[in-house]
Amino acid sequence: MEGAELDYDVLIIGAGVVGCAAARELARHEKTGTGMKLKIGVLEKEPDVGFGTSSRNSAVIHSGINYAPGVLRAYLCVRGNMMMDKLCAELKVPIKRIGKLTVALTKTDLPGLYRQKDQGEANGVPGMELMDNAEMRAIQPGIEGILGLWTPTSAIISSYGLTIGLAENAHANGVDFHLNCAAESIKSPPARGGSFEVRCSGGRTYRSRLAINAAGLRCGEVSAMAGAGSFNIWACRGEYYVLDKRLNGSLKTLIYPVPGPGDPGLGIHLTPTVDGNILIGPSAVYIPDEDREDCRTTSGVAAALRREGLRFLPGLAASDFIRSFAGNRPKRTPPEKGGNADFVVEESSVPGFINLVGIESPGLTSAPAIAEMIRDIVKKHIPISERSGFAAERPGFAGTFSELPLARRADLIVTEPEYGEIICRCEQITKREIRQAIENPLGARTLSSIKYRARAQMGRCQGGFCGPRIVRMMRDEYGFEPEEFFLRGKSRMFSGRVRDAGLGEHPGNRDEGGWV
Amino acid sequence: MGAPEVIERGLAVIGGGPAGLAAAIAAKEAGADVVLIERDRILGGILNQCIHDGFGLHRFGEALSGPEYAGRFIDRQRELGIPVMRNTIVLKLSRDRRLLTSQAGRLTEIRAGAVVLATGCRERPRGALSIPGHRPSGVYTAGAAQSFVNMENIMPGKRVCILGSGDIGLIMARRMTLEGAKVEAVFEIMPWSGGLPRNIRQCLSDYGIPLFLSTTIVGVSGMGRLEGVTAARVDERGQPVKGTERFFPCDTLLLSVGLIPENELAREAGIALDPLTGGALADENCMTDAEGIFSCGNALHVHDLADMASEEAERAGRCAAAYVSGGPLSPGGPSVEIRPGLNVRYVVPGRVSLPGASRGRDGVALAFRVTAPRREAVVRITGGDVTVREERYPRLHPAEMVWTRLRGEDLGGLEKRVRALEVNVL
Amino acid sequence: MSGSTIKGEFLCVVCPNGCILEAEYEEKGEGGRELIFFAGNRCARGEKWVRQEIEDPMRTISSSILVRGGDFPLASVRTTAPIPLTKVRDVMDEIRKAALDAPLYIGQVVLVNPAGAETNIIVTRGVAALRHR
Repeated sequence: MEGAELDYDVLIIGAGVVGCAAARELARHEKTGTGMKLKIGVLEKEPDVGFGTSSRNSAVIHSGINYAPGVLRAYLCVRGNMMMDKLCAELKVPIKRIGKLTVALTKTDLPGLYRQKDQGEANGVPGMELMDNAEMRAIQPGIEGILGLWTPTSAIISSYGLTIGLAENAHANGVDFHLNCAAESIKSPPARGGSFEVRCSGGRTYRSRLAINAAGLRCGEVSAMAGAGSFNIWACRGEYYVLDKRLNGSLKTLIYPVPGPGDPGLGIHLTPTVDGNILIGPSAVYIPDEDREDCRTTSGVAAALRREGLRFLPGLAASDFIRSFAGNRPKRTPPEKGGNADFVVEESSVPGFINLVGIESPGLTSAPAIAEMIRDIVKKHIPISERSGFAAERPGFAGTFSELPLARRADLIVTEPEYGEIICRCEQITKREIRQAIENPLGARTLSSIKYRARAQMGRCQGGFCGPRIVRMMRDEYGFEPEEFFLRGKSRMFSGRVRDAGLGEHPGNRDEGGWV
Repeated sequence: MGAPEVIERGLAVIGGGPAGLAAAIAAKEAGADVVLIERDRILGGILNQCIHDGFGLHRFGEALSGPEYAGRFIDRQRELGIPVMRNTIVLKLSRDRRLLTSQAGRLTEIRAGAVVLATGCRERPRGALSIPGHRPSGVYTAGAAQSFVNMENIMPGKRVCILGSGDIGLIMARRMTLEGAKVEAVFEIMPWSGGLPRNIRQCLSDYGIPLFLSTTIVGVSGMGRLEGVTAARVDERGQPVKGTERFFPCDTLLLSVGLIPENELAREAGIALDPLTGGALADENCMTDAEGIFSCGNALHVHDLADMASEEAERAGRCAAAYVSGGPLSPGGPSVEIRPGLNVRYVVPGRVSLPGASRGRDGVALAFRVTAPRREAVVRITGGDVTVREERYPRLHPAEMVWTRLRGEDLGGLEKRVRALEVNVL
Repeated sequence: MSGSTIKGEFLCVVCPNGCILEAEYEEKGEGGRELIFFAGNRCARGEKWVRQEIEDPMRTISSSILVRGGDFPLASVRTTAPIPLTKVRDVMDEIRKAALDAPLYIGQVVLVNPAGAETNIIVTRGVAALRHR
């Protein structure tokens, strides 16, 4: 399957949540009347799917109250939200419909709150309720605020789990994933009906009838490569803290402030995760002078997040802050303007080249709905219809083994003994789960790939305990050499062996004066 | 089907490191029916990767390496025929001393007459420090790096900076240097080192590795592998001083910034913890506030010497054995709280029964740490206005735990209304 | 040539008292040093220690040796007696070159007088033989 002669009907550039959702949706289809599946390829420059913005966010499935009626985002968000339960059940992705309270603290917040409700109604958000403080406190004890908007369809999800689930299921249905494969140039067809030639890092070239630009923070460059117009994308960084699971249960629902009209995000808040942690964040800081993918954290924002966390959860100890991370939003609005612009999901001026531009929040929620839109654009070029052989179900169970009921665990351990061996102590992740993660069908083999699939290294010790054990397993059972371990892309874990057979002289620092 | 096998045991010791081994042996010698539960494939716990010497000076009068020190206890465990469940992790502990354990192919519920928690400690990760910057590879806790180097034959990197001057960091500075890495610097946020003076001398000075005190890391750089760290001096409040930043190119950062007693099982069982130590609140018998559940070693409070962890664990093991056999564990009667006073960070145990302290000629062992280094120090234990004990020490250091004893005669003059003793350092 | 006198403070590590010794020594060339003055020690062990530390510091080494066919890739080892600090790198070179076959037992002598130093190298953690490797 290697080489320059690979031909696809559809080539998707970027394996974030939207690219993977599109791949899976298209994999459902065959070319009408031929009985042939659509040939679909996905290019990803990172060594795994979902390493960008898709996994670096609050992992919230939004209801759709934040968007003005009639804009694309409003439709996609509400539609995507509706699709999510079935999708997650099929893909075995954890989702919890914990609802959300948008809270007016003072009278000045009320107009904004009413506007959200009006928008929600116009957008078709189901089940909304206005709540007074007593009603809010019945949901979240101790909550402040004079009036709240309750949206029961708001949910939390595993963001990386959704992307991985979509990708692995698409792969199981015949989609090719090319990891570590960045698009470097795109030759657009001279005439309608021709093919795109996408030359990638490593010298490979893929030819495809249609191409989809799902490159997230890089969508501007990819569009320009194809001659499909240039877009300015401004990266707006959001930093987060992850809190220890000790605090699990203290947040019953999502609690958001009422957003101001010019706010680039939805405000700093606390978000419970499906895994039982709490996120503090995100900040919203434009980074015009940095690489758009530079996800560094900064001391100023970190301090603000800690203060914010302590305000909501006064019992927080230093050891409760187990990790910080950042994700960058691909914004279409420049810093001086702020706010949000609508998503672009359209066939570009180059026929057959489909642009997805500025897919920031609520991109995660919207992904399955965007995939439907893409499918409909594809249909205009290639007659397709749903096929019978599509396997929508992903095997296994949602969440981790340790979350299953005891009786089920006791049974499963008998048939799969490695379910009894705990490798990650903090998250109680078993050897069987680590093995499944290592053997993932996409062939992603970084330590982060294992982390996102199995949850190992995500707990309070951050891999201090299980890291060496996973490395040992990959070396002893899968033959990895020390130099072959990567944390993510281009991030080698080790420099080599301490002792090597046949190594006589060792390049020490003995000549540099460090020795006595 | 569908239910774990249930077994009953006199005493379950959780953790087969220096504390757990010593507790199991002491309990077995006292006649208890003991099972030792170890999550790893071998006994010895963290000692297995501590291949440097200096263990056993108190106990055996020789400088042993960690594995050898563990080996002495493992030999004794074998002699006594103490059963061990290896590769077994305790998933859950309840206050009524039921343990759910997991191993390959099997879940088991152990109903124990008593439990000793000897679960050790874990390292503080980067997140708890809030070091801003990128998330490159090449950032390891010192203990994880030690495990890679000493157990797995894997070299983390070639050009190293170390944050924190705790003993593991110092030991790793020497180890990495001897293995051909260049250790650029060790940074310590406090104005004094967190490690033993012997280790400063033999691990840093011997190899010309600079130790920067009152300095911390304010930035980590590298979108892939670590490319360097930015260090800065800190003021008296530990805040970085603007303008003092300096970039140190390196591909590896080791964190040796503190150890946290591992007490998730205790916490989930609702056992009261001491916020100062991170360990369980325990009395002089190492018993927690849950009847029949004991805690010792680094799970109770972080020790600097394995010898002392073993000694404490033996006490826990003996007391647990006594508890199981229904013997008089503690004479009961009035007890006093022990609190850290002036210049003391914490004291263990947090509670002592007065008759307990009067029993035997040795009384009760108290361990405490000072908040800052002190010379010609006076340790004064007070109860209300009364000084019950006073000792002089030429030198006290936060990196070195102080052990003292509270004896029956110390408490003779104490008024009945006194509910708490304070340990002060002047 | 020789003759330069160096003053320094030495924190005695013999016992927990941690005496701070003021010491003066002379550099004698070729790494040789001679203690010429000291003060601050509370006991004779401190004098012995500072003299040794200045004139001929001795160290123990702990390290690892490659193991073939073991359940661990390395055997931890140490010196049985302190060696001169100046010999540490030569002894490390010997340790680095060595390779051993499992099984290995605690206390097993695996190198005798490495690099001519008056010490042996012993195994400090047993390594079992692995059959299928």
